[in-house]
Amino acid sequence: MPRTDLAPLLEVGGLSAWYGEAQVLREVSLRVGEGEIVTLVGRNGAGKTTLLRCLMGLQGRYSGSIRFRGTDIARLPAHRRARQGLGYVPDDRGVYSTLTVEENLTLPPRVGPDPWTLPQVYQTFPRLAERRAFPGTKLSGGEQQMLALARVLRMGARLLLCDEPTEGLSPLIVRQIGEILREVKRQGTTVLLIEQNVHFAATVADRHYLLAEGRVVESLDNDQMRTREHELLDHLGI
Amino acid sequence: MLQQAFNGLVGGAFYALLALGLAVIFGMLGVVNFAHGAFYMLGAFGSYILLDHFGVGFWAALVTVPLVLGLAGALLERLFVRRLAPLDPLYNFLFTFGLALILQDLVKREYGVQSQPYPRPEALAGTVDLGLFTYPAYQVFVLAVSLVVCGAVWVVLTRTRVGMIVRAATERPELTRALGIDVGRWVTPVFGFGIALAGLAGVLAAPMRAVNPLMGADLIITVFAVVVIGGLGSIFGSVAAGFAIGLVSALGNLYVPALSQTLVFILMAAVLLWRPAGLFGREESPS
Amino acid sequence: MRALGRAAALVAAGATIAGCAGGPGGGGSGEKISDGKVVLAVLNDQSAIYADLSGKSSVTAVQMAVDDYKARYGGKAVVKDIEVVSADHQNKPEVANSKAQELYDRQKADVILDVPSSAAALAVAGVAKGKKKIFMDIGAATTELEGAQCNKYTFHYGYNTWMLAHGTGATVTEDGSKNWYIVYPDYAFGQDMQKNFTAAVKDAGGTVIQADPAPFPNDNFSTFLLKAPGLDPKPQVLGTMQAGGDLVNLVKQYNEYKLRDKGIGLAVGLMFITDIHSLGPDALAGTKFTDAWYWNATPENRAWADKFQAKAGKRPSFPNAANYSAATQYLEAVQRAGTDGADAVVGQLEGHTFEDVFAKNATIRAQDHLLTHDVSLAQVKPSSEVTEPWDYEKVLKPIPADKAFQPASPACKL
Repeated sequence: MPRTDLAPLLEVGGLSAWYGEAQVLREVSLRVGEGEIVTLVGRNGAGKTTLLRCLMGLQGRYSGSIRFRGTDIARLPAHRRARQGLGYVPDDRGVYSTLTVEENLTLPPRVGPDPWTLPQVYQTFPRLAERRAFPGTKLSGGEQQMLALARVLRMGARLLLCDEPTEGLSPLIVRQIGEILREVKRQGTTVLLIEQNVHFAATVADRHYLLAEGRVVESLDNDQMRTREHELLDHLGI
Repeated sequence: MLQQAFNGLVGGAFYALLALGLAVIFGMLGVVNFAHGAFYMLGAFGSYILLDHFGVGFWAALVTVPLVLGLAGALLERLFVRRLAPLDPLYNFLFTFGLALILQDLVKREYGVQSQPYPRPEALAGTVDLGLFTYPAYQVFVLAVSLVVCGAVWVVLTRTRVGMIVRAATERPELTRALGIDVGRWVTPVFGFGIALAGLAGVLAAPMRAVNPLMGADLIITVFAVVVIGGLGSIFGSVAAGFAIGLVSALGNLYVPALSQTLVFILMAAVLLWRPAGLFGREESPS
Repeated sequence: MRALGRAAALVAAGATIAGCAGGPGGGGSGEKISDGKVVLAVLNDQSAIYADLSGKSSVTAVQMAVDDYKARYGGKAVVKDIEVVSADHQNKPEVANSKAQELYDRQKADVILDVPSSAAALAVAGVAKGKKKIFMDIGAATTELEGAQCNKYTFHYGYNTWMLAHGTGATVTEDGSKNWYIVYPDYAFGQDMQKNFTAAVKDAGGTVIQADPAPFPNDNFSTFLLKAPGLDPKPQVLGTMQAGGDLVNLVKQYNEYKLRDKGIGLAVGLMFITDIHSLGPDALAGTKFTDAWYWNATPENRAWADKFQAKAGKRPSFPNAANYSAATQYLEAVQRAGTDGADAVVGQLEGHTFEDVFAKNATIRAQDHLLTHDVSLAQVKPSSEVTEPWDYEKVLKPIPADKAFQPASPACKL
């Protein structure tokens, strides 16, 4: 039950994807409204990461439509999608070891109308300022996650595609990430988020899609998410 | 001993130039360029042909031959390597391997297998006093060119935006595209540049090594070992390993001549056991 | 008429049957030439390091020998039909082995010629022995062919490591360069050369201060070249046993390090005219080496070289001339024997003494099947003395056949 009061920023229709002969996405359709935070929930292998890779243009073989800001981007190469305003935060955070922290931040071009400035980034993430000349991978896991998020904010991306930003991080860091996402939302940026942590998902997001075996099986709001937390945790095998 | 070490560095200069080209190509395209040795050979033959047919000497060859080969490399990338890249990496292995054989045989057909004469440039015929010992000027020149080129590449890579993009694209080509950078636009010049470096090494080799169609095939095996030791795709690693292997094989010849044939490969095996990704390589993440 | 006609038909039929029995593939008692023709097979390197030295140009040389034989005997030639075939063994013993079998069995080769690279030559010698077919090796240098691994059907023709070592090693030592530093490629040929050179230098009153194995192939010899002046006592001559591209590498770098200016001369174990061409004569000027034959040594050689150049488009190397000579001597032996039966031809070759354009004062030794002939000590000319393409050598002095080659080895039992 997608909300209709917000103009859809992203609209995915009938998306199917394959790895070789194996079909990993089956006719997925979903919408993300401008300024929303939406999570994709589902157990490992449900197709969440593949879905983000399709949106970003990194998946080899897929079919279906991907409308972003009203135009179909399904045939565009990855770098052109990024330039349209997609900001990708991969599941391994994608921090370059051969680039310094600052180079990691300044590598992508600016794509949005009001990207964060470098001082703004350093003010929000003082740890990155301290370590700006270090190789990116010398940071701790939490710091690397901050770096990956800061990078797409500095790009000025309109839609962040975040693949499990909280995975393997301490509760303190997870809380910080939650705050950042809420701040991002306040500024009007949209987020599509893969999340295994149902509790965390319910605290930051507006809506949720539950994926299983390559299909969207349910669309949930926060209340449903909270009341069915135990059932969902069971489903996710956590 | 000091002199021997210096001489090892001269040998390493060739490894470094070749390994550097292999590393940027592998890093950015994921292609192991088996034709790299053939382009080294073409570099040496290019200088020979310029001199023999057109009377064009060493200094002009030093500039034109790498340039022409670099352009040829760029064309090759555009016409073939790019088309094969989306397929299994095996296709580009086979393509570059086949290309190496074809280039080798074409030169063989035209010039035979015997070595072609190539004189040392007059200006570098003497020796240079390096304080502790004197050394042939040409060899000092080779080392200097290699150091300057590697140094210049280093500055470009670390100090410029282009360098940053190349480093990023070498480390994570897919992610770099997802961050809005048109990696494909950089692939062609980088491939051409890698080939040009091989050509440059060939031009430098012509006055001091045998110029024949097989010169590249013999050398490239060691260069592959160098790249593996340095860490596949690691730009810094390949240059460092290049000079290091030059040193090690020079000192190896001196102290353990019986092992000189195999030393580099023993070293490679040892490094791989100790660090499977090579000295400066990154472990592949399981995802 | 009818009866006569039938009788004639019968006779004709009988003759045809008889012809078939003794004809192709038959090898009947009345047949002098098996299969009705003689097949000369050149098995050598046509694609790798020795291809320019011998390779296809030696096939041309062998064809010249066939043409000259036919012209010499005309209608009196025992063999009317002579075919020259060739195969590439890529310097690999296993390829040489299978190609030799194929040449003898399928292509009906009566003799295999050339076969450079010692390991390949020994492999083919084994095949020849097993099949009782003649093999005349030219390209390989190993003395094993006339030593422990000799056999009744194998001949070694042209040169060997002993001749190179004693020609160059002894002469250079006797000329005053007593102390040697030897660098050799670390495989069978190099090790064999190193052994022979060390013995020859010692016999001539010199000393080998040190002998270092180098990788093979190798493009960087600077370690050895830098080390040479520091040896104690300082060597007067650097003896290199490298061949082909390795030799070119070593000599270029020898000149780089200016060892000649430091009082260390250069002696080359095995050098072909193609090597001089590769390096340019100035890189080697003054270097002494033993040569089995030089195209511009005599008017006779030169006349043959002109004929060869008209066909092959270049000046002949000594293996080219040796292939011509071996093919000629084989055909002459067939002519004398009146058959191409291997045992009869071996009988004609053994102990045969002759002179031809390649071999002077020549004997095919009966004890070990080694061709002994006069060779020469040669020196590379500086480019100022070079008057025409490929005019690279100055013959210093002849080395008579009995001094040039080793006495027959007791290890050889034919």
